[in-house]
Parts: sequence; structure tokens; C-alpha cells
Amino acid sequence: MKGDLIQHLFTTRKLSKQDIENLFDLTKKIENNPDYYSEFCKGRILGNLFFEPSTRTRLSFESAMLRLGGKILGFTSSRDSSATKGESIADTIRMVNHYADIAVVRHYMEGVGEIAKQFATIPIISGGTGTQEHPTQALLDLYSLKKEFDKIDGLNIGFLGDLKYGRTIPSLLYSLIKYDNVKINLISPKTLRIRSNVENRLNDAKSDYLVTENLHEVLETLDALYVTRIQKERFLDPIDYERLKNSYKITPDTLQDVKDHFIILHPLPRVDEIHYDVDKLKYSRYFEQAKNGVWVRMALILKLLGVE
Amino acid sequence: MVNDSSTGEEKILTVAKIENGTVIDRIPPGKSLRVFEVLGIDSNYPYVVALAMRVPSVKMKVKDVVKIKGKALTSKEIQTLTFIAPHSTVNIIKNFKVINKTELTIPNKVEEIINCINPNCVTNAHEPVVSSFDIISKEPLVLRCVYCDRLLKGDTLQNQL
Repeated sequence: MKGDLIQHLFTTRKLSKQDIENLFDLTKKIENNPDYYSEFCKGRILGNLFFEPSTRTRLSFESAMLRLGGKILGFTSSRDSSATKGESIADTIRMVNHYADIAVVRHYMEGVGEIAKQFATIPIISGGTGTQEHPTQALLDLYSLKKEFDKIDGLNIGFLGDLKYGRTIPSLLYSLIKYDNVKINLISPKTLRIRSNVENRLNDAKSDYLVTENLHEVLETLDALYVTRIQKERFLDPIDYERLKNSYKITPDTLQDVKDHFIILHPLPRVDEIHYDVDKLKYSRYFEQAKNGVWVRMALILKLLGVE
Repeated sequence: MVNDSSTGEEKILTVAKIENGTVIDRIPPGKSLRVFEVLGIDSNYPYVVALAMRVPSVKMKVKDVVKIKGKALTSKEIQTLTFIAPHSTVNIIKNFKVINKTELTIPNKVEEIINCINPNCVTNAHEPVVSSFDIISKEPLVLRCVYCDRLLKGDTLQNQL
């Protein structure tokens, strides 16, 4: 998004509402006519630097670049790279500057974006960094909401589960607060509440948010519920986990009183927080959501390469 | 170096002038020993140093003053002193005259003097970068890591200095 945005994408905080809407306009065009874009990246190479395993993010970036006529190189875990020899992220980025035209970095460390800013000469996109952010997941989540409701302004969104360690949560929150009159409901056990730095930014933006442990306090009012996985190992006390795990499990019974147009999103992978029976209900959108990832990432690659 | 004399009923403390060096004035009372620590001044320090603790001050009621002959502070030392002794003044002395006077005010950004508390922050890894924080609140003091976005409270910073 040279000119109207930034060269890299590591946080949704730096995107304006207009940046996001411009990206979605292109995403929609691509989704409606992908063949038209099938050679836009001919001769270009995407470097996939995955220091941490990934299924959806890596495959959808690869799919996106291949659908644009480009090529891919990279590695899929730290074990396959010189990181095991102690090579720094900065040096890896300096190397990939010469091997690719654009790159995706996933890393278990946080702050990789600032390293990219200092050492990258090609556009770098975050494929998720530590528990910090996962901006492209947030953009596809947002695109899924936009497709469903034709708008983001005024939506009432619930976030359920592990809001502390889930890296998609901050990115999606930072995007949503760019829109008008969005109501945010943060539903989690106390131990998994959003981190103070994220809440600080919500406060700075004067966003309308509610923190609760009780899903049923807000469920009937929601337009969409964004469900995340609760990981047992995150709890300090296993008794807390046993007490809370079922209250955050979505079954068809849970959804008896939701709004007619209500939808459920999930960044996936799912474990057991959404029962398989929910997949058949009209509310589930998580698989369509994953599909949107390819279109959004295609649009993002084009924007960052400036080859629209 | 320090002479204590009386004029009438008021006691005035006089500290001899230095020809070249640095005078740190208006140090919050009792903080001058921490200032020495930050500047690496101990019993082996080879130059003339004067320390006056809890001397009368019109503005502060009492203050500490430190004079160091032949010493110019580094920017890292100045940054650190800002948090140890905020609102102190650093006077650079040349030929017995003050050629520069700076009040230590909490800046908007701080670099290098402390580490991020997040073990997963790239600044704590083997990377060619230094720590960097935006100061998002001065009272109470709150810092935000430019790299990983983690918040640090003032006491965390004080513990690291």
C-alpha cells in the first residue's frame, strides 16, 4: 500500500478506516473475478519466513501468491532455517531482501515489526508475532463481517475465550475501533482478560467496550460472536479451568435466544469450544471466514507491491 | 570542598566553585548517592567531587547538590538521571562559568537504559537493536515498549536503574 499506507503490515493500529475500506474494495473485486488478477504478480516472489508452524496463514498466503501468478520460497519452521544456528531475525530479513519481492514473517517473538522497519527493503507482512498481533487474520475477520452485514459501523460484537494470549484479538480490536458506534463485549475468565496494553489502547480510542465473565449477559444483543480457543495450560489453577470450560463452549442450546442475523466467527483451529453440531446451523461462518483469507491476502500483496 | 558558615541568624552553605566539569543542582533530597551510583562515582573515583546533602533551597526547601570536576555526562547518564532525580538541573561549567543549563524533565521517549520486561520481546533477543519506550503517562509514570507494545510501570523502571 505504497503511498496510501505503509510498506509493512505488522499491526492494524497503523491502518486507517479508509486504508481498510480501500483494501476491502480491492478484495471484493478479486473475489468477484479472480481470473482477472491471475498474472498480476508474474515474475514476483513471495518469501514465507515461518519461524513458527502454521496451516491456514501459510497456505492462504501461498494460495494468494500463486493465484496472482507469482512464486513462493521459504521455510516452515525455525528448524528449517539458520535460526537454529543463532541467526538473528534482522539478518534473516536482510537476506530475504535479495531473494524475494515481498515476505511474510511469523515468529514466536514480539516486536518483529520494528526489526522489519529497520532492516527490510521489501514489504514485510506479519503472519502473527508471539501473542502480540495477527493483522491479516483480523483483516479477513473484518472482511467476513463486512460481507455479512454490508457494514462494520454500529455492530455489536462479542469476543469469547482466551482474550489474553490470542494474537488475533488485539489486531481485530484495533481494527474495529476505527469504525463508528461499534460495541465490543469482552467475555472471558478473569485470568484471560485482554492485556493491559490492549485495554489501554481501547481506552485511548474512547471505544465502547464491556468486560464480563458471563456470555449470557450479552449473547442476545450480539450481531456476531468471535470465539477463540481456551487453552488449559494458560490457567494457573486447573480447578478454574474445569469450572469455566463448559461455560465458554458453544452448542446449539447456547444459541437459542440469539438474534436472527447472528453469526459465529472463529480464527481456527477449533478444539471443542464450538460443538460440531453448530457447524450445521445458519449461524456458523468460520469456514467461509477462512476462505476469505485468500482474497484479503491477495489484495494485501497487490497493495503492498503497488501492482494494482 | 564544603564550607559551612553563618551570616546573622541564617546559615548558608557554600560549596567551592569548580573550574571545569558538571554541577547537578536541585537534586531531590537524599537522591545524590543514587546519582553517584548512576555516574559510577565511588571511593576510587580519581577526580574532585563535592556532595552536599539536604542544603537549604528557596524553591525546594532542601535539596542535594553534586559537583564533579572534569566530567561531562553522557546522554545515557542524563536519561537515567532524569528518572532518578527528575527536575534536577545539569550545569556544564567551563572556566568557572555555567555555559549550559538543562533541567531534567521526563522525556516522551527513552532508549537503551532499561530492558523490556517481556521475555519474548525482540529487544531481549540476540538482535542488533536497543530497547525503546514511549512514555505514555508521566504521572504516574507508564512506559510502552515500542517493539512489543508491553506496558511498564514506573517502579519497574526504577528497579532497573
